[in-house]
Amino acid sequence: MTHEDDLTMTQALREARAAGRACALATVVDTRGSTPRKTGARMLVDPAQGLVGTVGGGCGEAEVIEAAHRVLASGVPERVRVDLTAELVSWSPAVCGGVMDVFVEAVPTGEATGESGPS
Amino acid sequence: MSLHPADAAELLVVSAEAGGSAAVAVLVGNAESAAAGRRFAYTAARPGAEAAVHGSFGSDGLDRAAQTLLEGIVADPRGRGGLHSLSVEEESCEVYVEVRRPVLELVIVGAGHVAQPVSHVGSLLGYRVTVLDDRPDFATRERFPDADRLVRADFDDPFRDVPLHERSHILLVTRGHKYDYECLIRALRMTPPPGYIGMIGSRRRVRATYVQLLDEGIDRTLLDRIHAPVGLDIGAETPEEIAVSVAAELVMHVRGGTGRALKDVERVAGRFFPESTDT
Repeated sequence: MTHEDDLTMTQALREARAAGRACALATVVDTRGSTPRKTGARMLVDPAQGLVGTVGGGCGEAEVIEAAHRVLASGVPERVRVDLTAELVSWSPAVCGGVMDVFVEAVPTGEATGESGPS
Repeated sequence: MSLHPADAAELLVVSAEAGGSAAVAVLVGNAESAAAGRRFAYTAARPGAEAAVHGSFGSDGLDRAAQTLLEGIVADPRGRGGLHSLSVEEESCEVYVEVRRPVLELVIVGAGHVAQPVSHVGSLLGYRVTVLDDRPDFATRERFPDADRLVRADFDDPFRDVPLHERSHILLVTRGHKYDYECLIRALRMTPPPGYIGMIGSRRRVRATYVQLLDEGIDRTLLDRIHAPVGLDIGAETPEEIAVSVAAELVMHVRGGTGRALKDVERVAGRFFPESTDT
């Protein structure tokens, strides 16, 4: 993530919280082999505003968006393994040859929760 | 209390902009547990601010282990984020760590026709771009719409208003080698040295500048710090192409690459489909 990406994501998270909108945040926490985005890539699924950022597009991202909707409904985080190795001989855009681990969590709404400060 | 993802993201951004380093750990192991998604952050000491921890995993043991982990990652220039495990007594759990180092600076000296595309590409790469020139008509907002800072400088003391440090990447694209000289003599005497010094110019102009530096008592070994002529050899001719060549060298300098074509590094055809030798 570049600093620019960080600023965009921070802004989006801040706005969603201020507006009290429930969102899901997907973070690529690990990759093996060749994947479209690397560890650290982020995507915010904001049902009212759409997507901010990307975890690589294509079928893999569609799986993550599905998980995001499950997480939004349940409030329970999920760890999604996106496998992009299966279709090596097809012409699918998902032919990258790698596996991504994505952590998907609900972003709490409202002003609640811990402000920064000494613990 | 756990740290809200927005607060965690903000801590990282604010710290990087202030020239500091910070790291956030998110509990991701055993994703369905109640603690998953909790965040703990560490911001390193920097001039004007002490090191601090933020948020909690809800267990003193875990917080202590996380603080030790994050301090270690931040203190080590090669410390990496990603998945790590935290062990407390018999138990261990998985955290995902994000690290942010200070924002890199690109200081472009000389606001001419090469500086313009370099400023664009520099912003695109996430550098905080400063453009410096002594001519008020050149370092203008119209010519450099995405530069973070435009500075009118005097070449008697070119970096007076632009403090340099290890994260400064200096690019000299001035209109004459006496200006390059004034910048280099200062940059080379800095401790710690700036992260990168590049200078555009023909072989002849670079050589003339070096002669002057050596005459002034600059140690020969210091000349090796200067990337001149600047850029990777991609046959660049236009200012835009030169900007790409310079940017490629900057990325290589920061990330550590070979500068070779990946085709030749990976040799996929030769490695997996060797030509038959019996024809």
